[in-house]
Amino acid sequence: MNCPIEKSAELLAFSTGRLTPPEAAKLEPHVESCPVCRKFVENQRAVWRALDVWEAPPVTADFDRRLFQCIEQSESWHDRWIRPLRLLLVRQGLPIAATACLIVVAGLVSQRPAEVAVPRPTQAAVETLQPDQVDHVLDDLQMLGEFTSTARSDAGEL
Amino acid sequence: MTERVDKSMGTVAATLDYDAELMIRVKAGDDASFGLLLEKHRSPVIHFLYRMVQNRAVAEELAQEVFLRVYRSRSTYEPTAKFTTWLFRIATHLALNSLRDGKNQRSEARLDNESAEAPARQVSDGRPSVEQVMVYQTRLEEVRQAVAGLPDKQRAAVLMHKYQEMEYSQIAKVLNCSESAVKSLLFRAYETLRARLAHMA
Repeated sequence: MNCPIEKSAELLAFSTGRLTPPEAAKLEPHVESCPVCRKFVENQRAVWRALDVWEAPPVTADFDRRLFQCIEQSESWHDRWIRPLRLLLVRQGLPIAATACLIVVAGLVSQRPAEVAVPRPTQAAVETLQPDQVDHVLDDLQMLGEFTSTARSDAGEL
Repeated sequence: MTERVDKSMGTVAATLDYDAELMIRVKAGDDASFGLLLEKHRSPVIHFLYRMVQNRAVAEELAQEVFLRVYRSRSTYEPTAKFTTWLFRIATHLALNSLRDGKNQRSEARLDNESAEAPARQVSDGRPSVEQVMVYQTRLEEVRQAVAGLPDKQRAAVLMHKYQEMEYSQIAKVLNCSESAVKSLLFRAYETLRARLAHMA
């Protein structure tokens, strides 16, 4: 038999005394009437009491002395000098380093050689003829051909 | 434990617990505040570590490391969470590492020696009889074995929940998991413990 409240954090808190009095009072009637939840609470309280039995041994008397000795040894001269400067490096060093990088980059960019304009190759002018101009040229060639043949025949008659 | 709003931090409506304020003073170079923190948290941390690793010497060794790390971290400390959350996160991390490394393999042998010492310190009302001492030792041994039998994270969650009285939310931050994961850890852990220890009612 299962109860929906059995697995709830609320019932666990009730068992371990972690609920406020009003909250506990709300749950009390259900716990008294539900055998599943009542068993859960009984067992959980038994676990709580058992855990109460387990007390830890006292701290050894020289714990603090040993700790401060460790701290003293770990605080080497390196740490004495670097730790105070660490904040300075973080707070001021990074911005300074970033600015220095920007200056270097800007210097590199400004020293790049000027680009030489490559002359564009000249292009031959191409004359386009209109169609009537083509007819005129063909007529001139025909006349030239007729003139040449006439000149030859005249030379032959002579 | 929230004392005042720390305006010097420049944070908006930041409310620090007193321990965090002490740690900020340690950050500023006030070693006396570290002493106050140590005085307040020394025993809870050692007891937590002792119940985790169940070896007194190892527990104190780990506790030394916890406070050493706290002190070394003072220059970069930021109160982003409760001081005890941060403190127990370090302690849990070291304890889990120690358990994984098997440093407390001698804990089985140590348990016998320590349980023999325990009754003289534990029983406070009157001189216990031999029978009472034996019953006490038997019960103590059962409890320690039951807790030692829990998986490491379940053990840590139970110890923080029971002995440090931490809420689910804080345990979740210490273990770096969700609250629902913490609830699951605790439910499973207590289910195991009920099975082993409920007869002691």
